[in-house]
Amino acid sequence: MNRFASIAKYTVMTVLAVISIIPILWMISGSLRPYEELFKYSSSLNIHLFVPVQPTLANFKEVIFSEGNPFLRYIANTLFVAGSVTLLVLLVNSMSAFAFAKLRFRGKAIVFALFMSAMIIPGEVTLVPNYLLMNYFGWLNSYKALVIPSMLSVFGIFLLRQFFAEIPDEILEAAKIDGASMTRTFSSIVLPAAVPPMITLALMTFLGNWDSYLWPLIVINDEKKQMIQVAIAAFSSVEGTDWSKILAASTISTVPILILFLFLQRYYIQGITMSGVKG
Amino acid sequence: MTSVTAAAESASKTAPSSKKPRRFLRGEEITAWWFVLPSFALLLIFVFYPMLQAFVISFQNYNLVGSTRSFIGLDNYKSLVTDRDFLASLRHSFHFAIVVIPIQTAISLGLALLIQKKFKLTGLFRTLYFIPVVISTAVAATVFKLIYNKEFGILNNVLKTLHLPTTNFLSNPDTAMNGVIMLGIWKGVGFFMIIFLAGLNNIPQDLYEAARVDGATKIQQFFRITLPLLNRTTAFVVIMTTIDAIKLSGLVFVLTSGGPNGATETAVYYIYKMAFQQMQMGYGTAAAFILFAIVLAISLVQMRLFRNAEH
Repeated sequence: MNRFASIAKYTVMTVLAVISIIPILWMISGSLRPYEELFKYSSSLNIHLFVPVQPTLANFKEVIFSEGNPFLRYIANTLFVAGSVTLLVLLVNSMSAFAFAKLRFRGKAIVFALFMSAMIIPGEVTLVPNYLLMNYFGWLNSYKALVIPSMLSVFGIFLLRQFFAEIPDEILEAAKIDGASMTRTFSSIVLPAAVPPMITLALMTFLGNWDSYLWPLIVINDEKKQMIQVAIAAFSSVEGTDWSKILAASTISTVPILILFLFLQRYYIQGITMSGVKG
Repeated sequence: MTSVTAAAESASKTAPSSKKPRRFLRGEEITAWWFVLPSFALLLIFVFYPMLQAFVISFQNYNLVGSTRSFIGLDNYKSLVTDRDFLASLRHSFHFAIVVIPIQTAISLGLALLIQKKFKLTGLFRTLYFIPVVISTAVAATVFKLIYNKEFGILNNVLKTLHLPTTNFLSNPDTAMNGVIMLGIWKGVGFFMIIFLAGLNNIPQDLYEAARVDGATKIQQFFRITLPLLNRTTAFVVIMTTIDAIKLSGLVFVLTSGGPNGATETAVYYIYKMAFQQMQMGYGTAAAFILFAIVLAISLVQMRLFRNAEH
């Protein structure tokens, strides 16, 4: 009976795992097929549904070197934006988190409450005024519109503050006695102690920006400056019939992210756990 | 040498006094404000100021094309509550929420229970279940568009092999939402599995041991110990899913563009359409404010629930 239960358990687990990753495997294998082959083996369930008969890299070549849709360029744009946002998020929010965790100043409780109350304001509500603000600043169609408003992460402040609070006060006092300035203490004692949560925040920010769709769709009009997600969505509605190329473009934009995640998943999952525990 | 002792002396003087919470040191206070300033400025400029602006704009007839703005009081709100398209978009969002909440919660809790006990392949399975969360929305929606395709989509192949009727979910207004829902669940389950896993790990193991000694079966243990102690986590998951569902947009944008026939148009999609395609900024913003009121109400319920759960 026990044996039966464990076989059943493994079967269920395997089926669910297959459902989780089949769309991705199918995307990758489809991107390696010539167009004629893509639907040839799809009429029944067989091994060639997933294994290309005549594997080819032609789809990738066409997508990467295409003049109309240079996907490497979209990826470079997105890497640049997501990378800058991530660095700035780490800097800006760790500073405030440090102040909230370790420094005393008048109005701290009120300012902190303001930050926390911002958590319930969804970005969708401020979409229009933020667009008008970008218009007013003249930042439309420029990466400033993607980077600068994204520099704030209230969740980041919350997350880092927890970690900073655990650093013993004695260490900070000792640094002060040795004559270190507050900035020095922050950069050479507090930050190095908080590497894991910083990686957590970095990964969440990077993936969040890699995934962003609506805001770039609104503020970026120049196709050459577009972000990868908008480019893929636009590509799939324009080239509606050339599925091989669509799959190749999707694969190009997914594989780097997947690798990054596989290496750093421990931190990413930690961040999610934190957001759940908070309640 | 003297300077060091002097510094140590002054430090030892300030150290005890700094323990008093009410004393503010001038230097520390100024530094603190400099540290908070960048993010506080961002908060004011990109969150609170736009929020105020949104409030004002929602009472205006603000058309970006002719750049006309005029104050029209509650007219936007009045038209919205009778706007059939807007109400339909809210209904679609809630439809998504109502179907997704029980299914997604059950599956993610199930997954968490399956991989909770550590064995050789736990890590692998957890990673596999989690991968859809990492796949970006546009890619997932694009691939699912193909998966749902009637002639060559993989889903219909499976249905055909099982001798079930095939259909293109997305081209039929009655089933299109189901297509969105399946993708939403596929993409969301892994995230909440992790939240449940954290909740499960917070339950003290000796409770189970005591129950076992008393002869409780696994099923009794689940209903008498696991579920009640997971209350807080479950409430969190349900509320998060509801809020996410109300803000649902990305999937719909790419998968169906709100179609067919507006059947999958969600509230955020409607706001986007009004504000950025028809350039009715005031009307779109008023709709966004109604959305905010709903999210706020849910958040307040959430806080209430968690406060009660703590006692």
